[in-house]
Amino acid sequence: MKIFDRILKSFTFFILILMYLPIVIMIFFSFNSTKSLVRFTGFSFRWYSELFQDKIVWGALYNSITVAVAVTVISVVLALLMANAMVRYEYKGGSLIDAFIYIPIVIPEITESLALLIFLGVIGFPKGFWSVVLGHATFGATFAVVVLRARIAGFRKSVEEAARTLGADEIQTFFRITLPILMPGIIAAALLVFTLSFDDFIKTSFTRGVGFQTLPLVIYSSAKRGGVSPGLNALSTFSFGVSLLFSAVRLFTLRRARYE
Amino acid sequence: MAEFARKFITTVRQKKRLQYILLLLPAMLYLTIFFVAPFVLTTLYSFNMFTKARQFTFTPSFRWYLHAFQMEGLLTIFLRSIGYGLATTLLCVVLGYPIAYYIAVKSKYRDVVLLLFMVPLWVSFLLRTYALMGILSSSGLLNGILLGLRIIKEPLEILRTPTAVLITMAYNYLLFMVLPLYANLEKLDVSLLEAASTLGAGKISTFFRVILPLSIPGIVAGSLLVFIPATGEFIIPDLVGGPDTYMLGNVIWLVFLYTRNWFLGSAISLLFILFILAIIMVYLKYAGIKEVAF
Repeated sequence: MKIFDRILKSFTFFILILMYLPIVIMIFFSFNSTKSLVRFTGFSFRWYSELFQDKIVWGALYNSITVAVAVTVISVVLALLMANAMVRYEYKGGSLIDAFIYIPIVIPEITESLALLIFLGVIGFPKGFWSVVLGHATFGATFAVVVLRARIAGFRKSVEEAARTLGADEIQTFFRITLPILMPGIIAAALLVFTLSFDDFIKTSFTRGVGFQTLPLVIYSSAKRGGVSPGLNALSTFSFGVSLLFSAVRLFTLRRARYE
Repeated sequence: MAEFARKFITTVRQKKRLQYILLLLPAMLYLTIFFVAPFVLTTLYSFNMFTKARQFTFTPSFRWYLHAFQMEGLLTIFLRSIGYGLATTLLCVVLGYPIAYYIAVKSKYRDVVLLLFMVPLWVSFLLRTYALMGILSSSGLLNGILLGLRIIKEPLEILRTPTAVLITMAYNYLLFMVLPLYANLEKLDVSLLEAASTLGAGKISTFFRVILPLSIPGIVAGSLLVFIPATGEFIIPDLVGGPDTYMLGNVIWLVFLYTRNWFLGSAISLLFILFILAIIMVYLKYAGIKEVAF
């Protein structure tokens, strides 16, 4: 049966290679000196320098970052309060709220987005930066609640009680005990929300106004119009780099917190 | 004012229930306004309770639902969406099970292998789909290799076919199957396998009569995580598929952003949600599981 195990192992690593292949190829050909997507003719930053002269790309990048930052702040503040309520207090209806939190995660994003579009239209909310931010923060807050709840559940209440016994008031206890202990969880939640918002395409396209672009929208419309191109490879590689960086930091923060 | 603030703070200190409500309030209020209210409006729209000028009128009717049912091709697209959803789920079980089993039971470095599988998940959905377009396109790597090896003479047109949609779906959703299955198989009690073998069961019958039945909750959880988003997929059929692979998400998109018929779009969208909820209920009942372990 050793052979069987070996087949299992080969299969797993074969699939693993297939998972990475498209991304590696995309990155590889973003450094190609010519337009070819099959033959590598030489290393160059040509597509990147073209990219960073593109005003549309800069505008979209600026929008993506500012939206993601605003979404992160709103989501984490809301989630921090809510997760605390969910973990520390037990009341009837609590399990209902637990279930409610998962609905925005489970429902197809496109149905949620068009409901939001109708809502914005009916109340006459101007479309642009804030409509996109407020739309993203619904999934942002729910994901942040899920992350933070797990962190708070592992939190020892006795440390807070000790601080209170030693004469700290609630505010001191919160800022000097609770917040520092929860920090890794808060950072992890913030990084997750940032990447989710930074990468979002469907909700943004429903809630943005005319002329408001984010990076995923630029990527989508050029992929839709012109298919695969080295310039778009460069833009995608850049965007991938941002997600990778944030996710790696998130993993690192959580790991370190666990070992401490 | 200061007097009132002090009084308020003492009351909050004493009443735990009030603390609970105050903590919950901001997020609940937010979700009510930007998540629940939009769906209430969508429901009202689907029942024709708004005028074209976005004014509320009490004229409930089923006409947009009837319209949706009579819409040419909508049933086909419904069935096609389910078909793609089921096919993707099946593909992910077949590919994902051996992987999850290997990582959970056989691998010596599970954390590392698991992490290697998770990294592509950090890339956004759109980017993964775009990256795959590069491989599948007529001037892409796959055709380049096949042409170079002289297996084919003309580049294959893989893009804009159902095959391309299925490949991309499996590529994007495989992990949603592997992770819950891994979580399930990791808890597998090795002594059960020893017991089976002591009692004379071979490796194959141990797998089908012990391991597989025990991993059903993992398969159920993974299937739901794959089936729901796959059925509602928009980006994949839009970018790597063509008009003959369009799914429900694409129809909702077209009806909403191009024909701007909010009534019809709302009706289709709500039918879609009801359908997904029904599938989940039936599935969970059939699988005999009340709670899905993630």
